[in-house]
Amino acid sequence: MTAAIVPALEARGLVRDLGEEVKTRILHGIDLAIAPGEFVSVTGASGSGKSTLLYLLGALDRPTEGEVLIEGQPTAALDDRARGALRAERLGFVFQFHFLLPEFTSVENVAIPMLRRKDIAPAEAQRRAVAALTSLGIGELADRRPTQLSGGQQQRVSIARAIAHQPRILLADEPTGNLDTTSGAAVLDIFERLARDGMTIAMVTHEPSYAARAQREVRLRDGRIVDVIARAGAAAVVPAG
Amino acid sequence: MRAELFIAWRQLWHRKLLNGIAVLGVTLGVLTLIAITGIMRGFQTKFLDTVLQISPHVVMFDTSLGQPAPVVDQLLGGDRRATRIVRQTSTDRQRRIARPGETVAAIRALPGVIAAAPLVVGSAVASAGSKTLPVELRGIDPAVQDAVTPLRRFVVAGGFAELGGAVDGAMIGYQLAAQLGVGVGDSLGCVAGQGERFNLRVVALFDTGVAGLDKGRVYVPTRLAQTILGRPDVIDRIELRLVDPDRAPGTSAQLEALFGYDAESWQETNASMLGVFDQQNLITGLIIGAVLVVGGFGILSIQIMIVLEKRRDIALLKSVGYSSRSVLAVFLLEGGVVAVVGAAIGAGLGHLVLTAMRSLESASGMGYSKPSTFAIYERPSVYLMAFGFAVGVGLLASLIPAWRASRVEPVDVLRGAS
Repeated sequence: MTAAIVPALEARGLVRDLGEEVKTRILHGIDLAIAPGEFVSVTGASGSGKSTLLYLLGALDRPTEGEVLIEGQPTAALDDRARGALRAERLGFVFQFHFLLPEFTSVENVAIPMLRRKDIAPAEAQRRAVAALTSLGIGELADRRPTQLSGGQQQRVSIARAIAHQPRILLADEPTGNLDTTSGAAVLDIFERLARDGMTIAMVTHEPSYAARAQREVRLRDGRIVDVIARAGAAAVVPAG
Repeated sequence: MRAELFIAWRQLWHRKLLNGIAVLGVTLGVLTLIAITGIMRGFQTKFLDTVLQISPHVVMFDTSLGQPAPVVDQLLGGDRRATRIVRQTSTDRQRRIARPGETVAAIRALPGVIAAAPLVVGSAVASAGSKTLPVELRGIDPAVQDAVTPLRRFVVAGGFAELGGAVDGAMIGYQLAAQLGVGVGDSLGCVAGQGERFNLRVVALFDTGVAGLDKGRVYVPTRLAQTILGRPDVIDRIELRLVDPDRAPGTSAQLEALFGYDAESWQETNASMLGVFDQQNLITGLIIGAVLVVGGFGILSIQIMIVLEKRRDIALLKSVGYSSRSVLAVFLLEGGVVAVVGAAIGAGLGHLVLTAMRSLESASGMGYSKPSTFAIYERPSVYLMAFGFAVGVGLLASLIPAWRASRVEPVDVLRGAS
């Protein structure tokens, strides 16, 4: 008898409506489980609901119906503070725009998510931030501000910010959408290396060549999963519950 | 809180110009509060200090209370009662305090009374050479009176002690002396009504700083005043000094109840001036409040602008785990820091302004021997009040933008951004 693997991320019957008076259904009952250490890409046309799905998986948004579990923990009942703590400890986010705070240097931007955590001392946060920047090959840019960096460098800093606190799950929303081909490929190289090191990655992209580098590709259309393509190295996942 | 403080400080520093304008608003408010309070209350405090030094805390007059004046009894007689007295003249009133020695002794024995002094007071005309001026003639026992209104400390020429020793000695205000052209040792003519002219010898000059007194008051020994005024053995008022001047109204009422004479506290005597002070304080408070509120609006508008501008950054902070409360704290801290810095600069400038004002000569003119300067009220309590008010306004003003910032839903911003 094989023990069930608890998914790193799991969506159960996710429905999401947007709009105040006129409701538009963005997601129509999504069921998805992503195994620990799995690198999954989510693709689809604009408006297919892939970013909305990612925000729900990252506990940034609440579903209209259904449930999101992060490492087996239901998130529906968590309040704002608890969801924030959960994101700070277990998740890392990379967005299409780097969202680096302009007042801070690269190393400070990377350390900021760790500064609010009581279990990480400021000196340790600084050390981890420098280590993350160095691991991404931009250690020498630690003291530069975002305006002094190229687009690719800014995105690397934002990846460093997402991984410096050593989360087990990385969520990326079009991380290459604002980059040239070379910089985009470099970001994917980083993601592959992180996946090899055991990090769970869910990446939204509209670029087929990048999506193909994930172990599994989930294709969305009009808020529904229309196809799942497993590639070499994809882990077997048994949804919990 | 260290993360929130770090972020708040860095964001403030990054927008030095905008936040500098907000700081300036608070600075002006605090500066206005400290400067206006220092000058206005300084004047009021000086006035009250002077009043409480040169004026008695309570005066008991010779006007009898609670029974008809003798002249009314004479005019009406029998069972008829007066319901209204029209045009009662000064000569119709009782003109003396009965058994003044015993009354003064009894008053001195009352709790809270430091000293009591009997006087006779009347109008007279002083003359020297061809100059003639109306004066208020006060007959006092110098040693006893000094315990009630410390005249000795206002003497600027001659000797206060000589007033008690000389039969014809007079102490006059330095401005009166200047107008009459007399000095210490000179003679002065004095006459009351149609009475006899008396020659007085100036033994001392005083400078109280109150023009009305310095221009028109003459102190002589009691016996001499009674003679000049043609009221032998008459004491027409008793003045009191109290341990606590604030209790003067109560003591005044007590005297009226015990002795049946009209009594007046220093607060009643100066009621019109105290009323003016109340009005001044109200207007000053409104002006200061308005200036500080304007400073608060400065913080409010700049903070709202910053929050709108930083929606992406707020969304990022919340997405990486900062709670709504943390975001609220960041912007409240920013408002608080602006207020504290503005208040500190305003307090420093306020101190400089008050120090400069203190050394300026007052428009009220010169005293006898030294220029009159602005009286300044400068107490730690004023600085604390200004600081507290500024920080309160700053926090209140940043509450709305901070609350708006804390309500930013990261996903709304992220959707918009993508």
